[in-house]
Amino acid sequence: MASASPPGSLTDHDEVFRLVFEAAPNGIVVIDAQGTIVLVNRQAEKMFGYERQEFIGLRIEDLVPKRLRQAHVQHRKGFSENPSQRVMGMGRDLHARRRDGSEFPVEIGLTPVKFPSGMLVVSSIVDTTERTRTENELRRYAAELERSNADLRNFAHVASHDLREPLRKITAFGERLRKHCAGSLDERGCDYLQRMTDASHRMQGLIEDLLAFSRVSMHRLPVQDVDLDKVLDTVLEDLEIRIGETGAVIERATPLPTLQADRSQMGQLFQNLVSNALKFHQPGQPPRLIVSAACPSPRRVRLEFQDHGIGFEPQYAERIFGIFQRLHGRQEYEGTGVGLAICRKIAELHHGSITALGKPGTGATFVLELPLHQPTPPAS
Amino acid sequence: MSPANTILILADDDPDDRLLTREAFEEAGYQGTFQFVEDGRQLLEYLDHSRKSLPGIILLDLNMPRMSGYEALSELKADQALRRIPIIVLTTSSADEDVLRSYDLGVNSFITKPASFQELTEVAKRVIDYWLETVKLPPQH
Ligand SMILES: Nc1ncnc2c1ncn2[C@@H]1O[C@H](COP(=O)(O)OP(=O)(O)O)[C@@H](O)[C@H]1O
Ligand SMILES: [Mg+2]
Repeated sequence: MASASPPGSLTDHDEVFRLVFEAAPNGIVVIDAQGTIVLVNRQAEKMFGYERQEFIGLRIEDLVPKRLRQAHVQHRKGFSENPSQRVMGMGRDLHARRRDGSEFPVEIGLTPVKFPSGMLVVSSIVDTTERTRTENELRRYAAELERSNADLRNFAHVASHDLREPLRKITAFGERLRKHCAGSLDERGCDYLQRMTDASHRMQGLIEDLLAFSRVSMHRLPVQDVDLDKVLDTVLEDLEIRIGETGAVIERATPLPTLQADRSQMGQLFQNLVSNALKFHQPGQPPRLIVSAACPSPRRVRLEFQDHGIGFEPQYAERIFGIFQRLHGRQEYEGTGVGLAICRKIAELHHGSITALGKPGTGATFVLELPLHQPTPPAS
Repeated sequence: MSPANTILILADDDPDDRLLTREAFEEAGYQGTFQFVEDGRQLLEYLDHSRKSLPGIILLDLNMPRMSGYEALSELKADQALRRIPIIVLTTSSADEDVLRSYDLGVNSFITKPASFQELTEVAKRVIDYWLETVKLPPQH
């Protein structure tokens, strides 16, 4: 450095330093050994709301909230007996006081500088209002998330027990009514009763499915190596009867990989996609489904379930993943609209994604992207 | 054993379930007597007063006010004379922990209340067939 030719004269240097000092993003306040402010920069003026003339000559304690002044004098004494560069008030919430008496949270770095005339202390001050606010917001958000998870767990319990209870009675007394009073009911009465019974069965289905959804949401993944070909084997075996009845053709275009996942959730996911393909086929045509896998990157796998069924309008491609969202009346196709919501939840729990492509009358393709490896969960 | 002189206790706080269970047993051909109690305390009180003619079987709900099925079970199984009465848990729960805890406390069967009356009648048939017509119950003093 000494050998490098200086960019200008000494006065130029002073000017450069002054400009840097003034332009620093931190507030800088320099005090002497007695705690009197001897130098401030522009940012400090802005932060504290003092004009420079009034600033110089104030005591540093004027910048400290009244209730903390006493303690501050003690701290300062301690510091001047044992001066070192350090962060002030580690682990404490520090606050500074503006000219108008208002307070704001700060972080302060202290640097002692020795001069022949005595010691100066340079404090570099950062207003952390914004950061504190963001941190508080994050904390609040995390707490809210935890609470809503707890709500969900609670809800699952309520749904499983308290909601099912009265429904069980409605169903049972409906049966009793039909058995005992069918004779005294006219045709219309019997029709009402039938509709009532059907509705309560449907509600039972909704509750069961909702429960299945919330169980998936609450799940902690116990991952293992899962051979997706075997998962598909099992799902197709389970659906054997439906496949036989509908004359479905299922084409396994490529082998499927082995990846880290929750085996039973992968089964649930495949089961939902395959049964949708079996259900939403073109009237009069047997269902056709092509399952294939590709590796777009060495760490991820992309699975496609492509059918030649009734398809759907592309603008609904996202909506169908919502809970209870269906595009068809239950007279046409039965279901509760929870299947795809469960699929998406499972994909997300595995740090993957699922999307749909569709064209009415042509078919639908469900694209599932999953990482081959799951991050190891933090030990708790 | 003749079902006609059997006493079946149904311990359940829910009046709908008491009605449905009774009708299901009647429909399944049960000929004996019903005794209804609404919580664990009533169950123990009833048993205490009828040491001379103990029931053939107890259908026990778990979730009951005042004294739960579990508490009643612990007391019952601690009593030399009462511990032999077969107990069938009939509850809305199907949770593993309830199943395990019930068997740990010495119940003979665990049945989750079925969703339909038809199924409940099937359950009643099987209970009658097995517990009242197949197995030999402890003698009722
Ligand atoms: N393979 C498919 N072809 C056409 N539409 C589909 C297909 N799969 C799902 N859908 C549409 O998405 C909706 C939601 O699907 P899902 O959540 O599985 O519910 P459900 O099967 O109970 O109707 C379905 O009601 C249907 O309208
Ligand atoms: Mg479905």
